[in-house]
Amino acid sequence: MEIPYTVTARKDTGLFNSKVGIWLFLASEVMLFGGLFSGYVFLRIYADYPWPERALPIVPGLINTFVLIGSSVTVVFAWAALKMREWRKFQIYMGITIACAAIFMVLKGIEYKAKLEHQAVRMDDFAIIEGHAHYAVVGDDGKISHADTKTKAKKLSDSGAKPFKANAILFKPQTIDFSVARAHQPWVEAVLEQAAKRKSKLVTAEDLFLYGSIRDYAGTEQEPLSSKGRTNSEAELVAKYANAEEKAGHTFGERSLYIPAGTELSYDLVKQAREVYVSGRSHNAVARTAILKANWKKVKAARPEDKYWEQAPDARIDSATQLDEQFDSEGNCISGSKVVSVVSTLSFQMSPPQPIVIDRGWVKRPVKAQEGKAELRDDTSFNAGSAGDSAPGLLSSPLILAVDAIDFRWMAQKAEEAGKEPLEVIEKSWIFSEENKHAKYYKRIWKNHKARIAELEKELLEGYGRDKEGNAKRVPTETDRYRITWQDLVHYARVDQHEGRPPKPSDKEYADLRPKFWDGFAGPNHKDEEIHELHAFPELEIPHQKVSLQSMFTPKWNTYYAVYFTITGLHGLHVIGGAIVLGYYLFFSKGLYRRNPEWLANRVEVGGLFWHFVDLVWIFLFPILYLM
Amino acid sequence: MSAEAVATDHGHDHDDHHHDLPFYKKYIWSTDHKVIGIQYAITALLFLAFGFFLMMVMRWSIAYPEEPLPGYLSWIFSDEWKARWLQDGRVTGETYNMFGAMHGTIMVFLGIVPLGFAAFGNYITPLQIGTIDMAFPKLNMMSYWLYLAGGLTMCASFFMESGAAKSGWTNYAPLANFADGQIVNQFLAGQTQWLLGMVLLITSSLLGAVNFLTTLINLRAKGMTWMRMPFFCWAMLVTGFLLLLAFPPLEVAAIMQLMDRTVGSSFFTPSGLYTSTAGVIEASGGGSPLLYQHLFWFLGHPEVYVLLLPAIACVAEIIPVNTRKPLWGYKPMVWSIVILGFLSFIVWAHHMYLTGMGPVISTWFQTTTVLISVPSVILLTSLIVSLWGGSIRFNMPMLWAAAFLPMFGIGGLTGLPLAFNLVDLHLHDTYYVIGHFHYVVAPGILFGLFAGLYHWFPKVTGRHMNTFLGHLHFWPSLVFMNVLFFPMLIQGMAGFHRRWYNGGDAYLSKAADSENVFGNTVAEWIHLNPVMSFGAFMLAIAQIPFCINFFLSIFAGKKIKNDNPYDATTLEWATPTPPPHGNFTFDVAAYRGPYEYSRDDHEGDFFPQWEEPKRNKPAKEPKTSPVS
Repeated sequence: MEIPYTVTARKDTGLFNSKVGIWLFLASEVMLFGGLFSGYVFLRIYADYPWPERALPIVPGLINTFVLIGSSVTVVFAWAALKMREWRKFQIYMGITIACAAIFMVLKGIEYKAKLEHQAVRMDDFAIIEGHAHYAVVGDDGKISHADTKTKAKKLSDSGAKPFKANAILFKPQTIDFSVARAHQPWVEAVLEQAAKRKSKLVTAEDLFLYGSIRDYAGTEQEPLSSKGRTNSEAELVAKYANAEEKAGHTFGERSLYIPAGTELSYDLVKQAREVYVSGRSHNAVARTAILKANWKKVKAARPEDKYWEQAPDARIDSATQLDEQFDSEGNCISGSKVVSVVSTLSFQMSPPQPIVIDRGWVKRPVKAQEGKAELRDDTSFNAGSAGDSAPGLLSSPLILAVDAIDFRWMAQKAEEAGKEPLEVIEKSWIFSEENKHAKYYKRIWKNHKARIAELEKELLEGYGRDKEGNAKRVPTETDRYRITWQDLVHYARVDQHEGRPPKPSDKEYADLRPKFWDGFAGPNHKDEEIHELHAFPELEIPHQKVSLQSMFTPKWNTYYAVYFTITGLHGLHVIGGAIVLGYYLFFSKGLYRRNPEWLANRVEVGGLFWHFVDLVWIFLFPILYLM
Repeated sequence: MSAEAVATDHGHDHDDHHHDLPFYKKYIWSTDHKVIGIQYAITALLFLAFGFFLMMVMRWSIAYPEEPLPGYLSWIFSDEWKARWLQDGRVTGETYNMFGAMHGTIMVFLGIVPLGFAAFGNYITPLQIGTIDMAFPKLNMMSYWLYLAGGLTMCASFFMESGAAKSGWTNYAPLANFADGQIVNQFLAGQTQWLLGMVLLITSSLLGAVNFLTTLINLRAKGMTWMRMPFFCWAMLVTGFLLLLAFPPLEVAAIMQLMDRTVGSSFFTPSGLYTSTAGVIEASGGGSPLLYQHLFWFLGHPEVYVLLLPAIACVAEIIPVNTRKPLWGYKPMVWSIVILGFLSFIVWAHHMYLTGMGPVISTWFQTTTVLISVPSVILLTSLIVSLWGGSIRFNMPMLWAAAFLPMFGIGGLTGLPLAFNLVDLHLHDTYYVIGHFHYVVAPGILFGLFAGLYHWFPKVTGRHMNTFLGHLHFWPSLVFMNVLFFPMLIQGMAGFHRRWYNGGDAYLSKAADSENVFGNTVAEWIHLNPVMSFGAFMLAIAQIPFCINFFLSIFAGKKIKNDNPYDATTLEWATPTPPPHGNFTFDVAAYRGPYEYSRDDHEGDFFPQWEEPKRNKPAKEPKTSPVS
């Protein structure tokens, strides 16, 4: 029994099933990409920051456009070959199609890689700095050193400490508090590893008793559920911790843990404490629920007429206050109590204090020097010590970049909003100030840039003239004026170091020194020898407190890159998916070809329709992402 | 279905079913539309029960905010879970939010859509159009398993550290972007799991929609022209298009929010956002929360009709059978449903009157929203007029169908005020909205689906469901649905907010001269909370007879007298009971419209679609090329 119309077309619709199916599927795909494109339009129209225009290198995108168009043609040839029952030709054309898909993805990969290695910084004065970040490494003595590549940085440390991108947080804690419930294993281990590397130890400062339940469950009829099935017998525990019991002077529960002062941190310890914690929490919940229920019944019985009896003060016993009366003055539970004191943090002292590298992704909120602590998302807290201490906690770890672009557009926009002259604000900004020890490079670049823009302004005036009111008909755009691209940097460096007299912007050879649009295939090439010799991409050392946002050129950087990665990523998945399906027809469908070549032709036709759609999406993507 | 088609396809490597298939292939990894329909039905009913349970916990918290959960609600939770999520046995705001968000999601996406569209659609549609299976059986199987995977992904998050999603079933950004932000591995946060689950569910729906539409377009039996299709099939066609075109934008929203949560992009994060846990968010900003709402409701509104149409379709099948007269206004109903489908795409922003999107846009959406009530009223009116003059058999399906009409009527009419943006200013986010929506969905749509369950149960199992237990299910359900939902309309108009986890307890004030004026309003109507909760619990009890009836009748129900126990005219009753693989034992064709009851020129009160016209009467030959 077969489904009808899988191979032959139905007379009235003129279509076989999968063709109907693929057109419907493509309709939904149109809605999918339509939604994404609408999102792009919406985000671009309402953007409250200068949209990155023409920020992507055009060449790889352009090549990809032709590659995909070519593959759309060959997939039709492959289908036609099948229709004519020419298997060999089909193989060749389908092979080319799939090779095109591979080329497309490789080029895409090169583009992505360049973005993921490229650092961007938004400074607190809204200057945008782009470049390649240096690597830093913490030596065994706790000193930080920098190098421009990972391998060089690795050599700076004797014990082979891990180099990190200079945007990590360096914190020198006196104590570290771990949340018993939430401490994240890889992070605990990372801290331990770093402490060991720097010959420092993490130990508990005082004796700790952790209780999970109470054996002697006085006051209620039954033992709490939470203590069922626990294995540690009371006798064992008492024998093991005889001193502790004497000291605390109360009965041990079935599940408890004694951590003497001076115990070293290990994740295993945290895990043991966690088991006790969970047990204690559930024990308390059961006990308190029972108390609350009893109380509620009592209050209700005492106020038979009161409609709002739930509002009565004695109906609202708050577990946090009234139930805790059963603790002793030190906060420990007393013998016969129904609830146990639950230890939720384990505190360790670091001796001697050494810097710990904290990934920016780990922290709950931006770390500020004056707060004296760093909080991680797993509730781990690094503390710099008491207020009187001079220990600053947060160590200075400036972001060091080889700068390949500077963008003042946002700063100019903010200046205009505030009614100030943009040029003045820019020239007074941090990057040109005395505080920046590399300021002289940037002053020279700015001088060159202003000269070039002045020339451009002149050319536009000469070329297009003035309007009725005497204003120039055309002026340089905001992007021209306030964005210094990597091409500009190379251009100015070449001009400055030109043999003999440096050419002026009005000179003919000035324009010849500018990099062409095909230079730097996927963006600025920091490994280029010429650029290196010219020192075209100067260093910049940005203090941490000047940084308001830093990111690679990833979706995090701004909504433009978020759109770029999301749409091209989804499109890339479609390319891969399509290539897998077409590859299946090429490599695994000889049997079907022999049995029913028409069916295979139908399949290739449907796959080809999908492939055309994927191509069509790219034809929209290329202009809106690369050219506009 | 022709013999030629079968012959042409003979010998292909088609994964065919045989009757000696092993159990797991026949009932678990099945590609048979009927088995998949049953799988969908059972899974969806289980999810409905789970969603109902979540609602009962919420209703307890609303009615008795100070009291610990009673044993019959809390037995399901482990001690650890209670310790984490209940405050001494009481529902906390956080837990309430979690249950609320998941109640909505489960009921809409995992319960009613799969039951109405996927279960009934899968089982009934191919039978009614006279074909052997869906167009793409393997795709059909994949739809089910993706749906199950999506559902389990979402529900698994109840047991994670973060708990399940807590930002409402709409998952509005930026709240949903940062909820569970403390979780280290964002892929294990409930909020992210919701998105991942949603992507799976959407993919499942898209595949399902493509499959349904292709089946309806290409696999109709000989003579089954468009206007001979039962109304049920028309509803499935329109629902399929809604799913196909409306779901992709939600997929876009889910993908974008996934990006925001996992890689830190700012699609929906506005500039300078501050949260209490993270301070000023370290994100680029520049995103738009409004964009999320547009994308969500572009799905969200058509989704309402995806819920409704299958239910109305069941009712439209049941009424002609049990009134023994044709459906009144079949053609207007068909056109109404098509127009309804179209209009449902241009009304979405009436959910967003309060977002500040502007009065012009609000007015436009107000207009379209009022327009959409026209086809809705045509549908309901036609169904009501269909009853006129019929000799009605009040069997179980008919009782549910009859109750559907007024209940859905209340739901629809209470929606009208919400369409006007001035009235909506007052009613937005109050219990009035909840009451309106639940009148549509619970006593409306669910009654329609129950009608369908009782109606087609004999075809699926060969046995009738028990009438006594049926009445025990129906009457309490009808009464307590109203006890549960009608007070919501009253409370809503008094200003009760839909997200109060303590039912307004916090605002309560009984002092006559209190400055807290709103507190007095709350005091006036808060006593309805226990009434509604009583309704909810009684409603739960009323479902017990159904559960017993459902399972008991499979084995011990009254056997049906023949394959067509209701003397119905549509093609699903022409099959053996239960239909075997391949469905029909003869070469099926449709010779006339779907509702030929009580025709004067025909002996007997029904004239089935499949009955060949008598030779001596010059009846129309079935068209070989079935174009309407």
